[in-house]
Amino acid sequence: MVKEQEFLMELWTHFPDMLQDLQEHVRNQYVATIPREVLPAVVKHAVKQLGARFVITVATDMRQKTGDYRISYILAFDKQKKFLVLQSAVPPDDMKITSVTPDIPAAGWAEREAFDVMGIVPVGHPDPRRLILPDDFPQGVHPLRREFAYNEIFPQEQNMPPRKPAPEGTTVVPLGPFYPTLEEPAYFRLFLDGERVVGSDYRGFYNHRAVEKLGDSELNYNQIPFVAQQICGICGQVHSCAYAQAVEDACGIETPIRAKYIRSLLLELERIHSHLLWVGLAGHIIGFDTILMQAWRIREPVMWLMERVTGNRKHYSSNLIGGVRFDIDETAAEDIRRVMDKVEQELKAVVDAISIDTTLMARLKGVGILTEEDARAIGVVGPVARGSNVPIDCRVDHPYAAYEYLDVQIQVQDGCDSWARTMVRVLELFESIRLVRKILDDMPGGPVMAKVDHELPSGRIGLCSVEAARGESHHYVLTGDENRPYRWRVRAPTYPNLQAVGVMIMGLELADVPISIGSYDPCFSCTERVETLDVNTKEIRIYTREELEEMCKRKTWEKE
Amino acid sequence: MFKAKLKEAVICFGAGRVTLKYPFEPVKVPPKFRGKIEFDARKCIGCGGCANVCPPRCIVIEDVGEIAKITFYLDRCIQCARCYEVCPEKAIWPTDEFETATPDKSDLRSDMTIWMSTCQRCGRCFETENAIDKFPSKRWRGRGPGEENKHGIFPVKPPIEFVQRMSLVRESEEKI
Repeated sequence: MVKEQEFLMELWTHFPDMLQDLQEHVRNQYVATIPREVLPAVVKHAVKQLGARFVITVATDMRQKTGDYRISYILAFDKQKKFLVLQSAVPPDDMKITSVTPDIPAAGWAEREAFDVMGIVPVGHPDPRRLILPDDFPQGVHPLRREFAYNEIFPQEQNMPPRKPAPEGTTVVPLGPFYPTLEEPAYFRLFLDGERVVGSDYRGFYNHRAVEKLGDSELNYNQIPFVAQQICGICGQVHSCAYAQAVEDACGIETPIRAKYIRSLLLELERIHSHLLWVGLAGHIIGFDTILMQAWRIREPVMWLMERVTGNRKHYSSNLIGGVRFDIDETAAEDIRRVMDKVEQELKAVVDAISIDTTLMARLKGVGILTEEDARAIGVVGPVARGSNVPIDCRVDHPYAAYEYLDVQIQVQDGCDSWARTMVRVLELFESIRLVRKILDDMPGGPVMAKVDHELPSGRIGLCSVEAARGESHHYVLTGDENRPYRWRVRAPTYPNLQAVGVMIMGLELADVPISIGSYDPCFSCTERVETLDVNTKEIRIYTREELEEMCKRKTWEKE
Repeated sequence: MFKAKLKEAVICFGAGRVTLKYPFEPVKVPPKFRGKIEFDARKCIGCGGCANVCPPRCIVIEDVGEIAKITFYLDRCIQCARCYEVCPEKAIWPTDEFETATPDKSDLRSDMTIWMSTCQRCGRCFETENAIDKFPSKRWRGRGPGEENKHGIFPVKPPIEFVQRMSLVRESEEKI
């Protein structure tokens, strides 16, 4: 089976003994189990020589099945439209793997997370600090191991993670955890030389979600789409769709074609209002509130439309394993067409005005530059990649839902700056409107839900990438017994994009930092899964929670 | 520069007033809207389907002997509508209500208690006192007093209300 695929043939000739069981798992996915000693070499070869893109690593506790832990590296071959899962067993008494991060920077966070949640140590990692666990989490406890219950309350410890030392002669400016432009927690320590940024350090993951733990241990297959759509307030349909398609792929469930079209329709409508939201926010960040008002005025009819069609402004609750829950009838289709006409007409007027606005250009052009090499190395996705001349779009590269029947045009710009990202989004808006019309014209009849009356098989792997407005959302599902997944891994688009911020803001002036961070449309709530303690640090002193509570109480008394 | 500003000004003036006078004027929700859930204790048969499928676990059933206490935590509800999709008796349905803000969390909790009858053969609870409500309906019509024994279906230790209503039903059936 390998010999049919030329790109894998080359990998196979390099490592013939290791890749014996490389085989096509489902539709577009290959799975190979290899010894952990050669895993880094194979990953490196695939990325460096064969042009694969690093997606994510998944650490799984397989002790109940095989007695070992398992680490899987997921690679995407975009030209060949295939995914490759390279997995190897890690024995519990020697939980070490060789890190690939020195060669592939994209794997940096993923390997740090594997240590945090499962305790697999990446040897040779350049920055082996704690990433997602809270500061007060006890050492040596790893939450995604099977013995850790989902509702366990752990004892608190006072340990601060080591911080990146600031270079000599620089000033440290804290940006966050809450800062006025984004209303979401992210803590950047900026090292400034005068007004210029010469380095930065990121500490995030301040939101407690634990969705992966709940999916592994508590929820069943059909409950997870509704929890998955709560991961993000904007791309809810993306996450539930990606999860449902991953399970369908793994278990070989044939989704009816009309359900696929309805999924694509909702995804495109979601992209329209998400991009309009971003255009407004970008204007707000640089203090140009006319754009905020006008973009959100245009967006509101789309939200009302979604409410009429699906029953809610956001969180459409449309997906189940096997299809969608409601149909789009003729009146709804007419509504959508009417709103699309109105949005397109109003959008054209706004784009005409802002595309020649020199104030806007002065704030966006040449700001937050991410070169093509950096974009490929860090593995950024979505409009950030396409603004840096990297034509990846998983609607085309790894078609899902009904996108194989729709001719999607990838919008690429080569400016590599915030202006290029803005233009990518604006062009995608018109592309989405075109796609919505095409979907409504082409939509075939038939049922919208496949009949799933058998128990889903266990031990299968399913992968699905779905192009959200911000980039590629990736879901990995390993099916299990008791009608629930054994392991469910979510990688939101902000996860790789956020790793590029350090490069992006290097050399900028302080005033341009918020818009460069804003220009990749960060969604911290998608990315973060683990709670951390609120620690307000002022360089030397660290306030504990008790102290903060004490201060709050004192303030309240003083007021009274 | 000037041209762009002029175009933007035209857009802004052309838009007019777009804000709604929401709290002072009511907002009409579309027919498909999934609002706060409501339920009918008379229709509920205590099958537990809604609690089974609820993703955020906002419907909780406690079985205490012959009583099933069903609690709805509406503060945790995500309006996914799975509960009324699976309800076999349509005992739970969405309303248009979306203004659920309250200073007191207990306003958002509601519960109902259902008397479950016990099967004489297997000893498991199976139906509610609502079965009596259905007695004169088509399904039960023609089944006279005492016939329940044949099917092993009759309540044990009925509450007072239950006995009264049962006798009323029988009287009315005899008149017919």
